[in-house]
Amino acid sequence: MEISLTDFGIAGKILRINNYTDAKTVIEDEVKRGAKTIVVVGNDATLGQVLSRAATVPCTFGFLPVGGNNTIAGVLGIPVGVEACDVLSRRRKERLDVGWVNNRYFISQLHVHPAEVSVAYDERFKVTASDKMEIIVCNLQPFFWKRNKKDKDLEVVHPQDGKLEAFLRPLTKARFFGYNYEDPSIFPFEEMEITGEEPFVVEADGKKTKEIKVKIRLAQGKIDMIVGRDRKF
Amino acid sequence: MIFQKTPTRSNNDLELNRAAAEASAAAHDEVETVVGPSVNVEGDFASEGNIIVKGSVAGSVHTSRHLSVEQGAKILANVRAGSAKIAGEVKGNMKVKEVLELTGTAKVLGDIEVKTLIIEAGALICGKVWMAGLEAEVKAARNARMPIKKSDETMVVPLA
Repeated sequence: MEISLTDFGIAGKILRINNYTDAKTVIEDEVKRGAKTIVVVGNDATLGQVLSRAATVPCTFGFLPVGGNNTIAGVLGIPVGVEACDVLSRRRKERLDVGWVNNRYFISQLHVHPAEVSVAYDERFKVTASDKMEIIVCNLQPFFWKRNKKDKDLEVVHPQDGKLEAFLRPLTKARFFGYNYEDPSIFPFEEMEITGEEPFVVEADGKKTKEIKVKIRLAQGKIDMIVGRDRKF
Repeated sequence: MIFQKTPTRSNNDLELNRAAAEASAAAHDEVETVVGPSVNVEGDFASEGNIIVKGSVAGSVHTSRHLSVEQGAKILANVRAGSAKIAGEVKGNMKVKEVLELTGTAKVLGDIEVKTLIIEAGALICGKVWMAGLEAEVKAARNARMPIKKSDETMVVPLA
């Protein structure tokens, strides 16, 4: 990949980050030193880790998907592997929307683990279920789900840029023990508020927190990103 | 022979699965809001795109496009939609711009205002139905009915 990048005349400083690195401070430092484009190399988790912190930094972001767990790359129209260098060299830029949850951004997906919660959409209507409910909010990562445990085919819903989509899956008690998933409800929205009487687990870009109230919004045109021709929006 | 047949079947199955997947993907692209079963929605439920209701909705429902109320679904609200297909229960007035289709399992308790109405045998309606296009004739009938009433009164008096 490095040889391919050199062929295209793309060169720069390589910084390796780990789980404890704050991407925002690293990127801000580099932007101050004159960097105009930041290229993230890795998978969905890497992109989520970097952009969730550094979405507000005024620079262009590129992405070179490497390895497994690369679903966002498909949405952005970037092929996995060396071919991604070609997309990077073409420098086709788009302003992407990001999700905003309780004072921080999320790029890929937000997942509320099954809990007894109620959801208010755009302060207009309220959605409740008789028992627990699982909520998935998609920004750029597609949502894969199965109708039931026996179902072998995965159902896929591709997210669209310009709005957030929430998938609500209520759980009903099984005959003897455990829970069964019901068909999901889909609500496109601009702002939603999830409240629970007890703390519930929220996973945004792979990071888990416990919350009692979550406000999710769409922050439009926050990220300048280099995308491919085959992007899905 | 058996081994020759199985690949063709599996190919057919694969093609069918692919076609079904593509169809479902296309359907998902068209569908924008889905209220699933065992989900309750309360309030002013409005959407710019198509709505499919499989659960229950209370308050008001408004969409400029298609509304589909599936069997077993309940709407306790006034409904305004571009077009609609009802197979569940609606308690409230309905105002549909274009086509309203009531299937055999539909129950509507409320007034209906629509341009084109399709009713399948077995559908139940309790309420007034108002369709655009007959305003002039309705007015004429009303005007014509008024003098008849007067004449009826005059007829009654001598008989009594």
